Amino acid sequence: MPRSYLDAPVPIAALATAPGEAAIALVRASGSDAIARAATCFSRPAALRSAVGRSILWGRFIHPRTGEEVDEVLVSVFRAPRSFTGEDAVEISCHGSPAVVRRVLEALEAAGFARALPGEFSFRAFANGKIDLVRSEAIMELVRARTEGARKDALKRLEGGLSRRIEAARAELLGLLAEAELRLDYAEEDGAPGEGPAQAAIAGLRNRLAALCATYRAGRLYREGLCVVLAGRANAGKSSLFNLLLREERSIVSPDAGTTRDYVEAGIELGGFPVSLVDTAGLREADSAVEAAGIERSLRLLSEADLVLYLADGSDPLSPDATDMGFLASRPDALPVWNKVDSPSCRSAPEGWLSVSAATGEGLSELVAALEARLLSLAGLDGGNAGDAAGQGIGAQRDEVRVACERQKALLDQAVAALDDAMCDLDAGAALDALALDLRDAADALGEISGEISAPEVLEAIFSRFCVGK
Amino acid sequence: MDYEAIVVGGGHAGIEAALALARLGRRTLLITQDPETIGRMSCNPAIGGLAKGNLVREVDALGGEMGRLIDASMIQYRVLNRSRGPAVRAPRAQADKARYANLARRAVESQTGLSLRMDTVVDLITDGRDARVEGVVTARGARIGARVVVLAAGTFMEGRLFIGSWSASGGRLGEPAAVGLGTALARRGFPVARLKTGTPARVAARSVDFSAMEEERGEPPESFSFSGVLVDRPSISCWVTYTNAETHRVIRENLGSSPLFGGAIVGRGPRYCPSIEDKVVRFPDRERHQIFVEPEGEYTDELYLNGLSSSLPEDVQARFIHTMRGLEEAELIRPGYAVEYDYLDPQGLKASLESKRLAGFFVAGQTNGTSGYEEAAAQGILAGINAARFLANEPPVLLSRADSYIGVLVDDLTTLGTKEPYRMFTSRAERRLALRCDTADRRLTPIGRDVGLVDDARWSRFVARAAAIEEAAALLCARRVSRTDALRDPVLAPHVGEPLAAALRDPRVAAGLEGAEGFAALVGSEAQGFSRDVLETAWLDARYSGYEEKEERLAGRFERSEGLRIPEDFDYRSVPGLSAEGREKLSAVRPLTLGQASRVSGLRKADAALLMVTLLRISRQA
Repeated sequence: MPRSYLDAPVPIAALATAPGEAAIALVRASGSDAIARAATCFSRPAALRSAVGRSILWGRFIHPRTGEEVDEVLVSVFRAPRSFTGEDAVEISCHGSPAVVRRVLEALEAAGFARALPGEFSFRAFANGKIDLVRSEAIMELVRARTEGARKDALKRLEGGLSRRIEAARAELLGLLAEAELRLDYAEEDGAPGEGPAQAAIAGLRNRLAALCATYRAGRLYREGLCVVLAGRANAGKSSLFNLLLREERSIVSPDAGTTRDYVEAGIELGGFPVSLVDTAGLREADSAVEAAGIERSLRLLSEADLVLYLADGSDPLSPDATDMGFLASRPDALPVWNKVDSPSCRSAPEGWLSVSAATGEGLSELVAALEARLLSLAGLDGGNAGDAAGQGIGAQRDEVRVACERQKALLDQAVAALDDAMCDLDAGAALDALALDLRDAADALGEISGEISAPEVLEAIFSRFCVGK
Repeated sequence: MDYEAIVVGGGHAGIEAALALARLGRRTLLITQDPETIGRMSCNPAIGGLAKGNLVREVDALGGEMGRLIDASMIQYRVLNRSRGPAVRAPRAQADKARYANLARRAVESQTGLSLRMDTVVDLITDGRDARVEGVVTARGARIGARVVVLAAGTFMEGRLFIGSWSASGGRLGEPAAVGLGTALARRGFPVARLKTGTPARVAARSVDFSAMEEERGEPPESFSFSGVLVDRPSISCWVTYTNAETHRVIRENLGSSPLFGGAIVGRGPRYCPSIEDKVVRFPDRERHQIFVEPEGEYTDELYLNGLSSSLPEDVQARFIHTMRGLEEAELIRPGYAVEYDYLDPQGLKASLESKRLAGFFVAGQTNGTSGYEEAAAQGILAGINAARFLANEPPVLLSRADSYIGVLVDDLTTLGTKEPYRMFTSRAERRLALRCDTADRRLTPIGRDVGLVDDARWSRFVARAAAIEEAAALLCARRVSRTDALRDPVLAPHVGEPLAAALRDPRVAAGLEGAEGFAALVGSEAQGFSRDVLETAWLDARYSGYEEKEERLAGRFERSEGLRIPEDFDYRSVPGLSAEGREKLSAVRPLTLGQASRVSGLRKADAALLMVTLLRISRQA
């Protein structure tokens, strides 16, 4: 049977850096006797065995059975509990060729280290109380971060920003609950004050949690990215603009209308978000069945897009039908772009249109700025929009911590709903024993976010999504 | 064997255990140091109160004695926490202490199959391998055999009394301690530790000026017991006075002579029921503390000063008592004192209250680290039932946290243990709303009947009451909210067309009405045939059904972990990543379910999570 991270904790090792050629590769090893075991693969075993925690040793890595020298390495030593996993651990910096790495891992295997499973290092960190669930999830996001914005966002959670915020809310909630319980457990005449928790305190807490919920959208967009679709009539210059935004020739560009018969997709970064930019077949009456199918797909992509960039040929009059004005009427959220301003036959852009030349790059920086502004506003990070629910409180701050995953969001929603119930109870004059129940519901949900009482399935799901070496 | 069962101690736990055993047909011997003291109330003259009232109702529902004893000896009745909701509402009665003890003694003495012996137990007899209990050894050297022993020694094991610098061996003031037993049990390897509790001074009523105090009258009495016997008892007032700055000054200036602060007492006392010197030290900002002046009985002049527990020297006690309004010339009859005693770590018990290390040995009451007459009785009846089932080779009755406060109490004690005298609170129960006082019979009488403690008369009363509640509930379902109702009372407007039972889930509807009034106002004449208590239960069932569903959902999480059983021979070394201390704690307690494991005191959440994952793997593989 294959090993599972739930088995008895054997010493484990894995490559922690990306596989492939690199100047340096880092191999990580952890386990209760990791240092002594690693010493059997080291040219200076005594020095390694006696090394203090958080020190670095230079030496040669040796296969413990054959005595063959593998590489010249630096070994970082961590002693329990002051390591990532909470166990004794070493990190071996070797030269970054796949062959060297393979032989370092073979040597470690000969010394009794098992190959680590995905997420096993993080699982041990969780198991040894070094990190809570929110932080485990943040590590995974950090590893998978596709853009700078996503990386910063995950890092903030790893530093414990979100955990701290939820813990603070939970502590406050437990305070209210304790107050209610005190009143319930001491009779009126025992000197416990008569009123229950104040409506204002519950409302304040509820609003703070609701604001935290609202950050989920931004967190999700940083992780999962957005889809921006280029649309417009055939030959409006969509592929040229697509290529310009990509700064590489990916779509086939030709002056014949309808060159892009299907869609083309590429990943770029805009405003810190991973954006999947999609170039679609132009909107027009199809000449062939193949093209008709392409147009069909375009329409579906458009309906799923987070943002549509609608491109018109400035040298051509806008059509009133389903292609130009009709389309814009059906997608008022589309960003209209007036292309080909370099052309002498180009007319001046109508009110509200952005002028660009996909051929010369004129207007590109303004277009990118406009796109970024729209994406931030989609993520609820534009801050200026006070009427918007996501714009209230912490949601409005761009560098605040954010709720990242569905699991955290669902539990926060549950806490908010329970506090809504509590306020209804107070409003209706329900008895304190009923109110206390809703407060407990909310406190339980918050506790579950950091893994206080999480179901086993949640743990397994979280850690199995990691990559090896983390 | 001389007897089938021996019960050690004639207090509130011992009485219930001995009566249950004898009523279940077991030849039982109750050993007490003094038959005169059976059922004596060592401290406050009251039974019931928050959460404790529920315990009394539960003991009664199982077929116990406490409810009937207080019904026949109360001198004042009150329902506490009326405004804070039905789940936390509870009856409390002031007792005539002497009458209560006399009735208890009569119940014991008139019980067929129950013998009484005045003696002191100093050790157990076990089989050669120390695996099974076989009887007890007494101070006079008698060796008495029995297959089960229930230990309910209260504060008497190696008890020591303290008043100022005076200290002497004793279980209660004027009564000798049970010397030797605690030491013998420690020698046998039982985890014995010390706890402390205390009691206030008693003063003579004729020396007290009641006109300077607030009067607290009783309410019309109702019975604790489901036995249906009407309570016909006098109602005597209690009185309220307060400490003041001068009281606190006297106490503060004399802390040096307190055995509590001087270090003479090592056992931990109850945080929720601190001595007055403790209160003055811990809450220096409080200008006054409320003191209840309670009669100890109908035919005694002694008054109990509830809230003034103290072990300061007698002259200091007199001086601070004299600073208080109405007590300026109070004559002290008995001083307050502290008592320190041995208890056995209840983590050494199974949920049946049988020892994990010695088969047939059951422990109940204050010896398990609890405080309170009600907590003691609750354990006593369960220990008695399970001792009888042990004799009959039947599986023990295990009460769960979902069906009773007794279940909560026993689960807390056996999985968490206790470092201070354990008192029941409603907040200890995660299904508080489902554990109302008025539903104790519904929850436990069928169990008591199965066991054999509920006789035919009680059972037929139970069946009749349950049927009546069902009929009353049907009235609430049949009656629909009409437009006319809505015109009369606008809060009913959103509920037009709904059955009344559904509308009552809205707390705004019929707010503040008790069951009987609610029925009268909304159902009308059809409800007239039912008794008040039947209408109240049907009303609360409807009113709280929404909240109870929610509570059920919350507890569901907890149930899932309750459902994950830990094999009895489970090796905690097989849990990867489990911390050494976690392994040690779990191996010591040996919880039966993951739920219990997660409540083991001091266990890290991560350890509980790892255990859960491992158990889940085992259950999947099986």
